[in-house]
Amino acid sequence: MNGKTENMPSEAIDPDGLSWEHISPRYLTVRLTGWAVEAVLTVAAACLPLILRSIGAWTWVPDWLAWGLPAVVAAAYLWRGILLPRQVRAVCYAERNEDFLLRRGIFFQRTLVVPYGRMQYVDVTVGPLERAFGLCSVKLHTAAPGTNAVLPGLPAAEGARLREHLSERGETQLAGL
Amino acid sequence: MSIPHNGEWSRVHPVSPLVRGWIALAAIAFVIGRNWFEETAGFRGDNNSAPGNPLDGTALLIAAGILAGVLLILAGIFFLSWWFTRYQVTDDHVRVHSGVVFRKQRQARLDRVQAIDIVQPLLARLFGLAELRFEVADAGESAVQLAYLKLNDAQRLRALLLGRASGAGSDTGAGAVPPTGGTEAGSDDAGAEDSPGGTGTGPAGGTFVPGHLEAPEQPVLELRPGRVIAATLLSGTTLFLLFGIAVVLAITVATSEAISLAIMLPILFGTAGGYWTEFSTSFNFRASVSRDGIRLRYGLLDTRTQTVPPGRIQAVSVTQSPLWRLTGWYRVSVNVAGYGAGTTSDTQARTKLLPAGTLAEVFAVLALVLPEPGTDRPVDVFTAGITGRDGAGGFITTPRRARWIAPLAWRRNGYALTDTALLIRSGALWRVLSVVPHERTQSIALEQGPLRRRFGTTDLILHSTPGPVRPHVRKIDDGDARTLFLEQAVRARDARRRDRTGRWNSSGGAPAPGPSPHLSPEPVSKEYPHEQL
Repeated sequence: MNGKTENMPSEAIDPDGLSWEHISPRYLTVRLTGWAVEAVLTVAAACLPLILRSIGAWTWVPDWLAWGLPAVVAAAYLWRGILLPRQVRAVCYAERNEDFLLRRGIFFQRTLVVPYGRMQYVDVTVGPLERAFGLCSVKLHTAAPGTNAVLPGLPAAEGARLREHLSERGETQLAGL
Repeated sequence: MSIPHNGEWSRVHPVSPLVRGWIALAAIAFVIGRNWFEETAGFRGDNNSAPGNPLDGTALLIAAGILAGVLLILAGIFFLSWWFTRYQVTDDHVRVHSGVVFRKQRQARLDRVQAIDIVQPLLARLFGLAELRFEVADAGESAVQLAYLKLNDAQRLRALLLGRASGAGSDTGAGAVPPTGGTEAGSDDAGAEDSPGGTGTGPAGGTFVPGHLEAPEQPVLELRPGRVIAATLLSGTTLFLLFGIAVVLAITVATSEAISLAIMLPILFGTAGGYWTEFSTSFNFRASVSRDGIRLRYGLLDTRTQTVPPGRIQAVSVTQSPLWRLTGWYRVSVNVAGYGAGTTSDTQARTKLLPAGTLAEVFAVLALVLPEPGTDRPVDVFTAGITGRDGAGGFITTPRRARWIAPLAWRRNGYALTDTALLIRSGALWRVLSVVPHERTQSIALEQGPLRRRFGTTDLILHSTPGPVRPHVRKIDDGDARTLFLEQAVRARDARRRDRTGRWNSSGGAPAPGPSPHLSPEPVSKEYPHEQL
């Protein structure tokens, strides 16, 4: 089901002559690193009742809870980890003459079009982990807070090019509100 | 006192700090008064038991001295804050300097105006003062807030700001286009003039003196108190109250104790507050239209006059809560970029374009927002949007197969297109029709979760500026959604290119969202140099 849905909207929604650009595959490493750190910490925290029980501090914890809690948490993280590569692959963008298209999500898909003339400003942010991999995030702001157009995991050069390009397009097509 | 119009600096009315700080003054007066009263009473009480009276001239003198000192300090603070607050109006900007220790200088471009409000809180009304708020698109905070001016001055300043923002008569915006349209409009509606101290210069007379006419306006509708009271009593607050009573009764019956009646108190306070807000902000509601946009007046104790220039309304919705179905009333709300999406009663009041109106009144108001509905039979289409179901009026609805995930609303959910706007219909119990003019579309998103995918449906969301209207097409067929998504992007672009409401008077005609090449003061290619197709 997933393999099919991942490509489904792109076929129907693509106008002719439009090519979707994918974000850098290195972003997967960034996400996986963050995911691994988070998973280890959370699973460790979930193991706490088990440890306390085995050293005899908490005797009231039943078996199923002591083992079940870390198991459930670990399973949830494993599931997220399995999804991550496809989530990262699902993020893509396309520049058209008049607007900018953005897509993300596998289960909860979102396709967004932001006209250049509607952009108020463009943010480029770099986190420490992203910097280590030479990546950056670009965010487009319109007058509507619902726009929420974030494009993570762009190579730094591509991010800078996109920022310049978007600002330039935005200026030539500026239409107020 | 006159208003500054040639770039000179001016101050707000000297009484302003008192009117703004009256709560502080009242609090001080209360504390001091109570102390004094208790002391005197206390001494009287002591007189009976203990001989000798310690209350003599010195004590009184000291008390009076402290009081005078506090008042003097307050007066000093008030004076400084007044002295350091200055404003200036130039051809293109309005500037405000304020602050004593931390200075603040703010400047707002006149052509960025989204709305101008004149607010009169109760106390200011008693003094004949008014506050002027100049809103730009920053969602909530007023760019320029001048509190307080004389009412006449505030109105003249508003006329001046609107006149300069509209580009009428100013050489910068319109080039050499003579402002003939403005004069025509003026003579058309000469009977409905509402000009404080106008000197007959004419609305587009080229030079702006601080007494020039406000744009003449035509009344569109007004609500009688009876309507406002009935609408308040039938509003959602009543449903909330009924729900609260039902819950409390259920708890009482279940526990067979009367303790839960204590829960009723907050519910009652909440509903009373809700009723009061609703009533006081809808009272004496009047709407009119002028060359400078829509003008709304309302308020019971605090009164407010709002002016929203043409093209500043980003989206409009017509809603009906279940109880209003008994009376056939509707509410019209708007998104205006300067008003924001706050949940305060203030913001909610400002975004009401019609608190409670009949279908005919709704159409009268919609005609102001959408002067060109973009369809041959607007009444049919909009009525279908407001009350209808299924495909009437050209609506495309949730497919029948998806009725399991929208059991009540699937025949309501849908959209319809006209040449100028997208109509979005939803809600079976709380009926909602959202209308977004094509040129006001910000960005568009398609969203689909696993459940919607299972039924082959997609949501399409038009992002609008913060406000009560959230245009959201729910659960329409995948194919329809994608077609709409792509086509709407193109339609929005084309409409934006034709939009000339930025300087709404500069080209001389009434604001029209439709194509008007002969009215355009500048060639299209000037704004879109790379789009000379």
